[in-house]
Amino acid sequence: MSASTAPPLPPVSPAEMQTLVSRAGLSLNPGQMADLVLAWRQVAGLLALIPRDRPMTDDQAYVFRLSPPAATVGVSPASKPAAKAPPARKAATKPAPKATPVRKAAKPTARQAARKLARSQVAKQPTKKPASRKPARRRR
Amino acid sequence: MTGVAPFLTIAEASRLIAAKKLSPVELTKALLARIEAVDPKINAFLAVTEKQALTAARAAERAVMAGNKSPLLGIPVAYKDIYETAGVATTAHSRILRTNVPKDDAETVRRLREAGVVMLGKLATHEFAIGGPAFDLPWPPAKNPWDTRRFTGGSSSGSAAAVAAGLALGALGSDTGGSIRLPAAYCGIAGLKPTPGLVSRRGVIPLAPSLDTAGPMAWTAQDCAILLDVLAGHDPADPASVPGPKISYAKSLDVPVTGLRVGVLRHLYEHDLPGTPELLHAMNHAIATLTSLGCRVDDVTLPSLQEYNAVGRVIISAEAYALHEATLHSRISDYSRTFRIRVLPGALVRASDYIAAQRRRSDLIALTAKAFERVDVLLSTPTQGAAPILTDQRPDDGFARPLLTTLANVAAVPSLAVCAGWTVGGLPLGVEFIGPAWGDATLLRLGHQFEHAAGTRGRRPEL
Repeated sequence: MSASTAPPLPPVSPAEMQTLVSRAGLSLNPGQMADLVLAWRQVAGLLALIPRDRPMTDDQAYVFRLSPPAATVGVSPASKPAAKAPPARKAATKPAPKATPVRKAAKPTARQAARKLARSQVAKQPTKKPASRKPARRRR
Repeated sequence: MTGVAPFLTIAEASRLIAAKKLSPVELTKALLARIEAVDPKINAFLAVTEKQALTAARAAERAVMAGNKSPLLGIPVAYKDIYETAGVATTAHSRILRTNVPKDDAETVRRLREAGVVMLGKLATHEFAIGGPAFDLPWPPAKNPWDTRRFTGGSSSGSAAAVAAGLALGALGSDTGGSIRLPAAYCGIAGLKPTPGLVSRRGVIPLAPSLDTAGPMAWTAQDCAILLDVLAGHDPADPASVPGPKISYAKSLDVPVTGLRVGVLRHLYEHDLPGTPELLHAMNHAIATLTSLGCRVDDVTLPSLQEYNAVGRVIISAEAYALHEATLHSRISDYSRTFRIRVLPGALVRASDYIAAQRRRSDLIALTAKAFERVDVLLSTPTQGAAPILTDQRPDDGFARPLLTTLANVAAVPSLAVCAGWTVGGLPLGVEFIGPAWGDATLLRLGHQFEHAAGTRGRRPEL
């Protein structure tokens, strides 16, 4: 068990609290401010219980866990334009993980959404020449 | 309940429906009548979806007559009002979302609907699933069916009250720091906080996404297992969802628990947050019951409750504030005072504080997991004693006391609350079984056999 914790936070004066609250973009009436002052004292007490003496190279809790490479093989690679969804029969014979087609069906990828948006923007500009579609795609 | 026995469990109703001895329509009508008669005393429902319920019940009845024997076919349930329901207002018990009508069902609601359940309505909660009972909201807080002057616990307050009062056979709740297990204990029912990732949270209004879990609440552990069989499963739309074990939770309930190693977290309820004498007596009785079932019981020590609590509270405060920041800027007075007191301090939590809490959480996850090298299940209790008086709950005492339940949220492990017995005054007391990640089936099995051995399922509140 680690014993070292952060030094207790110094008490916050009403003026300092007002500054902190304003900086957070909040507009509190006097009653709400009084409640926050009391609640913050309790949270500051909780913060003092959390150890801080970890080595800089220690594992970080806030990591992103990516799928292993094998699981992402079936996903459209970033360098390739998003392909149309394969026919159901073909998809069923693919060794790709089951999650991939489900995710596509549930929600379009950012790439697909951007493409759809680009297409819709083009559709709203009938007077422009077809060449204008290219920059719209490239901008993504 | 004309023609329908009161207080059926899901398992009992399911058997009767499959045998064509109980009509889903008659069952639904009986519960709707009971809701109309009883709910004004306990405020469990925010909305009753009578028309949809009867339509679903008729569809279930047709399916039964066609030979469908799905275990949840025609079973009436209700949802904590943070579960999105297509075409039905989902308010989170808040003025902020009073007119919010989702287009889609939450994944869990969708799964249950496809399994043939009948949705009776939407249930009371603490505002946005945090805080305590608030009296400055458009709807009153739920009351405890065992004594309507008393608190239900929360935040899945309506879910626990509705199930205990026999207004719904099952319900869904959510648990970020104890919100399924606390009300389950105070209301004398069973409630499972599953392993994170086992049950999808898509379409469940979040509170603190790194701690939130969605789970079943019902009269028995067996009913929770029947619900979990449908609820569990990978959902790519929930980033935390993972493919869990492919097992039937309901079918493994009767595997003997003989030889199961149970570690008693005695320091939690005797030292860190001492329970009442009646609670301590109930815990000793629970230990004796487990021994009689053939479990090997021994004491286990984990870091102090205060450490788990500090980490959990700081994370909840920061994440909840981040979620609500924009609305707090524009509509702060539309939130309850209780909500503001719990969430506004998150505005002052620094990034380094939050990260320190997450890093400490990783230690606590590892330390808790290590305990499971020596035991299969940990034993604790969700509460210090019986339900307190509702009006004694003050908006500003939220951070003062740690919660016994937060340990399982911070440690990212499953936990099941079941009824352990009653006080002399007739109020329920709860016991909590905590398992290693993916140990949900063991918890439900132990809970099921504990309920039978302790004989706690034969008593219902009188309303």
